[in-house]
Amino acid sequence: MNNTTPAIQPITPAYHLRILEDAQIEQMRSATLQILSETGLHCPSEKALNIYAENGAQVNFGTQVVKIPPQIVLETMAHAPRFYTMGARSSAHDLVLDGKSTYLATDGCGVETIDFVTRQRRPSRKEDVAKMARIADYLSSIGFYWPIVSAQDFPATAPLHELEASYNNTVKHVQSETIMGARMASYAVEMARVIAGDEKTLLERPPLSLLVCCIAPLGLDSDGIESALVLAEAGLPVGFMSMANVGSTGPATLAGTMASGDAEIVGALVLIQMAYPGAPVFHSLMPGIMHPHTGAYLATAWEGTLLYAVGVEMAHHWGVPSLAGVFATDGQIPGWQSAGDAASSLMLCALCGAETGSGLGLLESCTLLYPEEILLDSDIYHRVRIEASGLDTRPEALALEVIHEVGPRGHFLRHRHTREHMRKRVFSDLTMQAGKQGGYRDPVEVAQEKVSWILEHHLVESLEPERVNELQRILKSADREFGQRG
Amino acid sequence: MSAEIKPLEPIKTPYRFQYLSDEQLRQLQGATLSILERTGVRFPSEKALKILAEHGAQVDFNAQVVRFPSELVMKAMATVPRYFNIGARHPGYDFYLGDGCTYFTTDGCGVETIDLETRQRRPSCKEDVAMMARVVDYLPSVAFYWPMVSSQEHGRTAPLHDLDAGYRNTLKHIQSETIMGEADANYALEMSTVIAGSKEEMRKRPNFSLLVCTVAPLIQDKDGIEGAMVLAEAGVPVGFLSMPTLGTTAPATLAGALAMGDAEIISATVLMQVVNPGAPVFHSMMQAWADPSSGAYVSYPLDARGRYAPIEMAHHWGMPALGACYGTDSHEAGTWQAGSEVALDAYMVALTGAEFVTGMGLTQTYTRLYPESLLLDNDIYQKARYYLMPMQVDDETLALDTVEAVGPGGHYLAQKHTRRHMRAAMVRGVAHQISPDGHYHDPREYAIERTQWILANHHPEPVEEAKQKELDRILAAADRELNG
Repeated sequence: MNNTTPAIQPITPAYHLRILEDAQIEQMRSATLQILSETGLHCPSEKALNIYAENGAQVNFGTQVVKIPPQIVLETMAHAPRFYTMGARSSAHDLVLDGKSTYLATDGCGVETIDFVTRQRRPSRKEDVAKMARIADYLSSIGFYWPIVSAQDFPATAPLHELEASYNNTVKHVQSETIMGARMASYAVEMARVIAGDEKTLLERPPLSLLVCCIAPLGLDSDGIESALVLAEAGLPVGFMSMANVGSTGPATLAGTMASGDAEIVGALVLIQMAYPGAPVFHSLMPGIMHPHTGAYLATAWEGTLLYAVGVEMAHHWGVPSLAGVFATDGQIPGWQSAGDAASSLMLCALCGAETGSGLGLLESCTLLYPEEILLDSDIYHRVRIEASGLDTRPEALALEVIHEVGPRGHFLRHRHTREHMRKRVFSDLTMQAGKQGGYRDPVEVAQEKVSWILEHHLVESLEPERVNELQRILKSADREFGQRG
Repeated sequence: MSAEIKPLEPIKTPYRFQYLSDEQLRQLQGATLSILERTGVRFPSEKALKILAEHGAQVDFNAQVVRFPSELVMKAMATVPRYFNIGARHPGYDFYLGDGCTYFTTDGCGVETIDLETRQRRPSCKEDVAMMARVVDYLPSVAFYWPMVSSQEHGRTAPLHDLDAGYRNTLKHIQSETIMGEADANYALEMSTVIAGSKEEMRKRPNFSLLVCTVAPLIQDKDGIEGAMVLAEAGVPVGFLSMPTLGTTAPATLAGALAMGDAEIISATVLMQVVNPGAPVFHSMMQAWADPSSGAYVSYPLDARGRYAPIEMAHHWGMPALGACYGTDSHEAGTWQAGSEVALDAYMVALTGAEFVTGMGLTQTYTRLYPESLLLDNDIYQKARYYLMPMQVDDETLALDTVEAVGPGGHYLAQKHTRRHMRAAMVRGVAHQISPDGHYHDPREYAIERTQWILANHHPEPVEEAKQKELDRILAAADRELNG
């Protein structure tokens, strides 16, 4: 029997926060415009260079560097829609990006899994993508699914196998961050068409979107950019992410790295708008800070988290929705560090109005899957969601009559108002769980058990057999073309 | 050798977040006035009842319940200072409760300690209070000290011994939350005057303040309120903390619990103002929840909304607020729960504009001390502090010339600009400390080692010998009188 997928509970804050002043954000935009027109972007794709050249950018085909005059950037970006819908297999789970709510995805593209049964660390596989899709389907904190690890048992066509595993195991929107190259992207579009059912649905409620990474400093990836063009042509949302690293692939000052990263993203968004004006796009600026001893990308250095919320404000200044970076932790096990890192960046990005964000469930700087981490992150998500939602001060909530009836020295346990409202208070299903020997249980242990419970009890509404077969057929052709043995 | 003074590092932020709307604040204040006027608050102190009756409150001496006409409340509240000074043994640690700056303290009054050496759990003692005061003295994030645990071996005079251990081991301000009753308050006042040098200096730069708990629903504690009157008369800052528990000692709705808790605080504040108009008083509320299945006290359920609302309510009354943060329900330090529950606190409380905030470093709902907890909570604090600093956007930080020099596809490692800024670009917390094997240290292990390092190396300037003798004399007198 199939269960119903619970409704998504996005964060709909009652408050808003601004980090940058108008003058600062204008300075940041001018910096981006200056970098794009004077320094330029490296774009190693013939197809993309032609589009840039045809639309008024200065292209050096020898060095593959593109310089885009400010006027062209501003005019082209004006076509990008500020609001749109990302569809899901079930329309009840569509994500309406209207600037009012923040939807979170899982994290994605990890490479190792702590095995669900043996608890041993091993390379990730397709079956992990499927299992975690089912857990993501069950959790009301998850708005959409990033295939959380890589289907490494199908190396040549992993991104397509991840899509198939996702569509078969969740009714929610799927966002890939690994589809690279025009051919691979064409197969992905074909799969999205099968899920949408018809062209109108594909355009109005696209069930697939793509996030492409830029290469800092100021570089675009040719396979990434070409797959983005294919998806954009089909009307599927595409976004670009910069992970410029303060001190190594970006200047050692925060504003400089933000400007350089923003230029990468905006340069790529301009290309998409030049090719397909009005195509839905999104902006994702997730810089890290270089560890001064090891050179590593740190997602959560003391100063680091501020940058994600600033990235959200910059996206909005360009008039496009944003994908915020939250929940990235450098912690290596589910514990104090992974917990302490998450809540604040989520709260600030939500208060800054991020439309979407990733991602719950990975550790070790987004590379390692502990299955229970997604439940721990969910707990933090709900804490933030409720905190941001405002306070009820209507007469029933102020309860003056109740306070008067009880008076000094009484207690509220027997009052009707208490019975009625105590039930509405929300408690965690991980912390405060009574143990058999008294006291409370370890929340991490409770989370591990809950993973097993969900996998045993939550069965997702199946795709119709014809669609399952269609996806299989597309996968087989792709496997043949890319030399992946079945 | 004694250590140098390290400037305090409060959270200073240009950002502001208004949690309650103006209309909601008016509603809540209206509710408080209605509770004070119609339902009343119980003051089980003859002295307090008489004073309040003399100033126009309606007092039922049998039931010991006081009802406050709204005009009396508004008139008394008009004399509460919005801003005032907090002194310390060393003037370098004085601070001012003003706008845009938030000062943190430790958590307080735990009863168990995990021994730093043996790692065994045992009842807390005076030595623990002294040890943590030294760690606090070292940390610029902690602006003042709440004695973290109780000097339990001293029984009835433990609060005075807590104060003594505090004075001898940190140059920072000390806030007690345990001194109760007139006799104790007078001894504490005597000790703080010794440290200050004179009564006048103590008024100007009070090196000591008191936080008194009210009792929900709608009761004042006799010893608490009488001790507070002594200190308010002497100009020592006093605060009132209400801890309404939703569903048991307070209504099961947040707004109702907030209004009722506020009524407890405001009724005590009114008393202080009629005793000494203009006395520095602060406002603090920590609502809690009763676990519906066990009745246990929970401070961090998923829906912990309202944790930061009392700060705005205090400001609406024109008083400074002591924000109530940290103090996880986790049994142990450094666990996922200990991190997740408190992670938002420092950010939100500073955005809401609390002047000062308790309290870092305890677990098990502020009853158990793991010495390393303070450094872990400190790390979350520092993250918030950096996060909320204004971001610098100018030619030097935008670095457009450097971006141009590197161009697409290069790297920034060899740039002068990188060398100039890299040292400041990454601020290392406990999670990014490199161990000799090249990996990152486990944050909790690092916190333990760091605590040991601080205790071995940081020795605050001792109290002058003559003053030490005075403290000894006062404590001996208190022990004789109160401990029998």
